Amino acid sequence: MKYILMIPGTQQDYNAMAGNEGEQPSLSAQDMAEIDEFLLAFNQELEESGEFVDAQGLAAPVHTRRVELREGAPVVTDGPYAETQEILAGYWIVDCASFDRATEIAAKLGSGPGPQRPIDVRPVAGSEPEL
Amino acid sequence: MPDTELEGLLRALAPQALGAVVRRYGHFDLAEDAVQEALLAAATQWPAEGTPANPRGWLIRVAARKLTDLLRSEQARRQREDTLVQWTLPGHWLAPAADRAAQDADDTLILLFLCCHPSLSAASQIALTLRAVGGLTTAEIARAFLVPEATMTRRITRAKRTITSSGLPFGMPADAERDGRLGAVLHVLYLIFNEGYATTSGPSLRRDDLTAEAIRLTRVLHHSLPEDGEIAGLLALMLLTDARKPARTGPDGSLILMAEQDRTRWDTELIAEGTALLTGVLPHGPAGPYQLQAAIAAVHDEAPSSERTDWPQIVALYELLLRISDNPVIALNHAVAVAMVRGAPAGLDLLAKLEADERLTGDHRLPAARAHLLETAGEPERAHAAYLEAAERTTNIPQQRYLYAQASRLGDAGASP
Repeated sequence: MKYILMIPGTQQDYNAMAGNEGEQPSLSAQDMAEIDEFLLAFNQELEESGEFVDAQGLAAPVHTRRVELREGAPVVTDGPYAETQEILAGYWIVDCASFDRATEIAAKLGSGPGPQRPIDVRPVAGSEPEL
Repeated sequence: MPDTELEGLLRALAPQALGAVVRRYGHFDLAEDAVQEALLAAATQWPAEGTPANPRGWLIRVAARKLTDLLRSEQARRQREDTLVQWTLPGHWLAPAADRAAQDADDTLILLFLCCHPSLSAASQIALTLRAVGGLTTAEIARAFLVPEATMTRRITRAKRTITSSGLPFGMPADAERDGRLGAVLHVLYLIFNEGYATTSGPSLRRDDLTAEAIRLTRVLHHSLPEDGEIAGLLALMLLTDARKPARTGPDGSLILMAEQDRTRWDTELIAEGTALLTGVLPHGPAGPYQLQAAIAAVHDEAPSSERTDWPQIVALYELLLRISDNPVIALNHAVAVAMVRGAPAGLDLLAKLEADERLTGDHRLPAARAHLLETAGEPERAHAAYLEAAERTTNIPQQRYLYAQASRLGDAGASP
């Protein structure tokens, strides 16, 4: 059964990480390296257990384009999100034995270095076991 | 035989066995599966029973047997579909036996040409080359390119099918076509190298494997066609670029630009090898784009510091490159080199001409270069704005951190985007 683990973030979080706003980045290069190291080991472990399907980090919210249909024509809006709006920042898709196991994986992910973020775990429809 | 040695042997033999089987029987798509099965059999049997006296012949025999099995099951399906692929032309029935020796490098070469077939997209050419010639697993390739394994599997399967249904005979393309195809092969190897090299940090660090693989495959190609100056040039370019890798990132994974790198950490052995390769081919005939880029890399690698680099030589080489290539990034690098020789304003004039180039719209490199030159020219305010513009354009976090750090160094008038 597949589950998606979703980590939220705001434009402000990204700004802090990149050292935008003319301030010191909230995370030092050392902090970034520790996060990378943790994620590398975390992903490797999932790959070895055969539970890893996919994982991607998303670029900052300001790089978002929204496409809507108005009067039959697509209208494109650049950066539709407010600075403080929490949207998806990254996700993992895991294929594991149970909801509890997916929750355990999410807890491990949340225990790593870096800013604390709530992680949502949701079942992926269509991957349910046969009745 | 230790594991790594066996792995190395199988890796070298895989394209040769595949080439031999395809040469003899055609069916590129099934032959690839058959060779994979034979490799698997070798990996399990040889450690236990010892490596056979003729490992290559063993692999080819087993792969040919597996292919026959696969063909039988495939035949029923094929007849229903009524699409008989004409691989073997009548004249080819007299082809030499599949395990005839002395064809190793040739077969690998033909395989490279086949994988870089013009009917495939660049992404498919890269995937197929790594799979069929490089012997990487689909999972490894998928990881390196950050796509799900299922996607990569489909990409490779589709590419194999395209090649099979194109009905190409297995052999070197005719002379007229060969140069164009060799260009495609070199471009694919260059892209593989870059994909591995351009990764700066993050959970994708293991893409180092890709640079090593690109260098290995280019070595094979150079070994087969030692007279070709552009192949030698590409290999030299890879070695001379890879030599700087140890100094490119700090202990904490942050980016370090070439001007600020600790040059004592550059790999002198790689520099010596790359320079020797280049010295061997440069005097012979007109230099192509890879040789020129390698020559630029060599000038950088030989310099004790950024200030003491032979910038006039680099400007001249970029000007030769610009004559044969219409690449805006080359024009951008040329502008920066001109600034080193004739001062920042001269470089800024050249950059201004590039602003209109649509291929650079949205690319962070143009404002980053502009920021750097404006700062040198003593215009901190405009430099500050250009650094911010560059930082806002890139989606790569390490690059962003670097650019924002430059901006805040020049003043804390940081306006939010």
